[in-house]
Amino acid sequence: MTTVLAICVTVMVTVSVYLMLSRELKSIAMGVFLLGHGANLAILAMSGSPVLPWGGLRQPPILGGEHLVDALPQALILTAIVINFAVMGFFLTLLIVTARKTGTLNVDELAGEEPPRSSPELASEPAPVAGLETRSVAD
Amino acid sequence: MAPADPSLVLAAVGAPVVAGLATLLIPRAQNLARVLLAACGPAASLLLLGVHLTRYGVAPNHAGTTSINWVPSLHLDLSFLVDGLGAFFALLVAGVGVLIVFYSRGYFGNDASSLARFFPALGFFTSSMLGVFLADHLLLTALFWELTSISSFFLIGWERDDETAVKRAMQAFFTTGFGGLALLGGVLLLGDTTGVWRWSDLVATASEIGSSGTVVAAFVLIFVGAASKSAQWPLHYWLPGAMLAPTPVSAFLHSATMVKAGVFLLGRLLPVFGLLTIWLPLVVAFGAVTMLLGAGLALRQHNLKLIFAYLTVSQLGLFVCMYGFGGVTDGHGGSAIDWDLSQIASHGLYKAPLFLIAGALAHRLGTRRLPELFGLWHRGVSGSRVLVVVLLAASYALAGGPGTVSFVAKELFLGAAHHAAASHPALLVVVAMAVLAAACNVAIVVRLVATVFGWRLGVRDDLPGRDVVHGKDRWGPVLWVPAAGLVLVQYIGGLLPPVWNSVFRRLEVNVNDEAFTDGLPWLWEPFLHPGAPLAMSLAAIGLGVVLGCSQRMRGDIVDVHDRIYPVTYRLILQYGHRAFHGIQTGHLRHYLVFVFTLLLLGISWAAWVDPAMLRLPDGVAPFESLTGLLLGAVVCAAAIALPLVTERVVRVLVLGASGFAVVGLYLLYQAIDLALTQLMFEIISVLLFLLVLRLLPRLDRRPLISPRPRLALAALVGITIGWMTLLAGHAADQRTNEAVTLGAFFEEHSLHGTEVTDGRGGEGRNIVNVILVDFRGFDTLGEITVLATAALGVWSMLPGRRRHRNDEGQPGTIAAEVER
Repeated sequence: MTTVLAICVTVMVTVSVYLMLSRELKSIAMGVFLLGHGANLAILAMSGSPVLPWGGLRQPPILGGEHLVDALPQALILTAIVINFAVMGFFLTLLIVTARKTGTLNVDELAGEEPPRSSPELASEPAPVAGLETRSVAD
Repeated sequence: MAPADPSLVLAAVGAPVVAGLATLLIPRAQNLARVLLAACGPAASLLLLGVHLTRYGVAPNHAGTTSINWVPSLHLDLSFLVDGLGAFFALLVAGVGVLIVFYSRGYFGNDASSLARFFPALGFFTSSMLGVFLADHLLLTALFWELTSISSFFLIGWERDDETAVKRAMQAFFTTGFGGLALLGGVLLLGDTTGVWRWSDLVATASEIGSSGTVVAAFVLIFVGAASKSAQWPLHYWLPGAMLAPTPVSAFLHSATMVKAGVFLLGRLLPVFGLLTIWLPLVVAFGAVTMLLGAGLALRQHNLKLIFAYLTVSQLGLFVCMYGFGGVTDGHGGSAIDWDLSQIASHGLYKAPLFLIAGALAHRLGTRRLPELFGLWHRGVSGSRVLVVVLLAASYALAGGPGTVSFVAKELFLGAAHHAAASHPALLVVVAMAVLAAACNVAIVVRLVATVFGWRLGVRDDLPGRDVVHGKDRWGPVLWVPAAGLVLVQYIGGLLPPVWNSVFRRLEVNVNDEAFTDGLPWLWEPFLHPGAPLAMSLAAIGLGVVLGCSQRMRGDIVDVHDRIYPVTYRLILQYGHRAFHGIQTGHLRHYLVFVFTLLLLGISWAAWVDPAMLRLPDGVAPFESLTGLLLGAVVCAAAIALPLVTERVVRVLVLGASGFAVVGLYLLYQAIDLALTQLMFEIISVLLFLLVLRLLPRLDRRPLISPRPRLALAALVGITIGWMTLLAGHAADQRTNEAVTLGAFFEEHSLHGTEVTDGRGGEGRNIVNVILVDFRGFDTLGEITVLATAALGVWSMLPGRRRHRNDEGQPGTIAAEVER
């Protein structure tokens, strides 16, 4: 199973790095989420294969069973999942705010711009992007 | 003899700063009380040191006091070394410190705000200086050394509204601070190499230090520190630059105390490093160049303070040279250094008065420029004649005229140079330089005298004479009495050497020449036994008189070294700016490439060190479980499809598919809690992502970046991480003894405790939960904090929360509600 996980990690990290190097913030966001999954799987691999050498699976990490899987990586991942989710929520919000204030999600265009000043007028201004608010649900 | 107790010395070091700070408590109007209290600080130091010395005597330089523990883990404790060298310098600082307090009352006048600001800074500085001179611990010396840099910054930049003064203070601070860093490095290197952290122990074990590369490096670093503080070429520029400071500061810092710190340090180092082969060439070379350069520059100045500043530079070069000669080893009689402390004391006793009188003249006449003092004696400005008398008396000592200690000091130095040149012929150059420098001193005095009396030889310029500005109410005897007192000691020492010797014989360590075993000689003795030193003195005087009378070399010039600091400063800013913009491009992609490249380089380096990392471990069982294989295939397929799909809703679904397959892998790994959590969050994530997509502009252009290098870098990173996973996971597979894993610990203590945990267990059967809420509870708290912070961030960023009720149809509000 370790081999399978290693291959999965390879593919996921490759794809996520590829996405993170792109120009579009949405792709970068997807890359970050995928990287989170890849990292979790890498940690999971540290607990060793759940398949016992003589066949059959190990038991879940609950006292009473025999040949329990290693619980520590699971605890670490559980923390990581929650934090991943928090990061994702924050990232998506950033996406929305960035698009509204700058009208672009292209990081190269963003790099040249001065950070927008946060003033009450700016915050309540209608979005400068044409079509942003008029887009229909069917899109 | 039992080691001395450090508490008296500690009190002596602390007294000036305590007294200085205490003056802040005195009401504004009470200036007399303020001055007296400030003077109490250094006076108390004098008294306490006196008590210490009467109780324990002057310690030999290998016997420090006992120590008071301060930071034992850093080898840092409060221990002091009150040997002849340290005691002499400390007494000099404290003694001059008292005089300076009174002088500054005369200088600043009855100006309460200046005095209130001045005395705490002065006390701080005096205490730091005393600490440098008395500290026995290497790090303590470095610490006080830095404190002198900091406190002198306040004093030099006294005119805080004057931009130039502040710049010069910065220049002095950075230059000496740079030296301080070198000193710290050298001290750390030395202490770490030898394991000895006290000067006294270093002296005691000097023969065992050896001359390894590290020791030499440590010495060179410490020398850089000493040279920067003592204004050695090419770092001497800060000292004349610091002359913008008020005169009490110039007299105190730049003649008597701070600039001597480097010289003092060389005195400390001589018994430790004197036998290194690099000592003599390094120390003498820098000292000699500084000596001649300073004297030459002094000759070409018109501002009295600058003249004296460059003369100080020259004299400091001479002292460094003097300690350099201490490294001379010949067949008979050892090093060529005699009565070094007397020589240093002699300098302070005429240079401080010169500065003090320069300040007094400036207050009386409103000028410090030599041409404007032309004919001062005959002008009849009230009170100026006594200043001139003291000035001339001090100048006579500056020229090294017979009858002063200074004369003997010059003889001693020229004798040492002669002695050193006997065994090292190359040093004849230094002898010639010393004679030239002495001639410059004499020439300056000749011109000074001629100018003051208005003789034809005097320095005049074509500028119309300025109107004499009478100092306001500031002038008082206090402006010249301290100077006169100091000069008097010069003459007492010169005319009545037994008085001088009775004080200094107990302090001096370096007495090598038999002629001086009993102390400084009577005035006539050098003339009764004429030798090379006397001949050199006479040559210097003759040359000096000729030089002084000549019309050549009179112009006012600017030292080229003054450009060093501004140019360095500008270059650093310029290249720093450029480097900043080179690294901080503002493009996320560049940062990522940088980070990933570093990661790859790091791992390549590790693999190069340990090639076993690249070998496929034995017994990799590839595919034990068909379920796992299928799930893995789904994960991989979804991931690969992600960048290929262009329709953004499909992309989100593909991302979700990958996540759900991961949930399956969790299940296979028997991670029930993980599977449940991930499943829940994955569903929310996909929904959230879809919602957000609807709010974003459709800007999905094809990427303009060429995909190949991206893919190559991504593949490299992916393969590296995957390989690491394989190695680590395989190592976990191969372990035979499960009891030694960390997981086994949690398994054992999940329900009941053992003696390892003081009998406390987690009281739970689900090990993962017990770990989260018990063993690593703080970690979970941190996780909740992250979640809360992210939620706060989302809430504060979303514009929807500012909208009114009737705007609820707006997209932002939908997102905000979803977030909530």
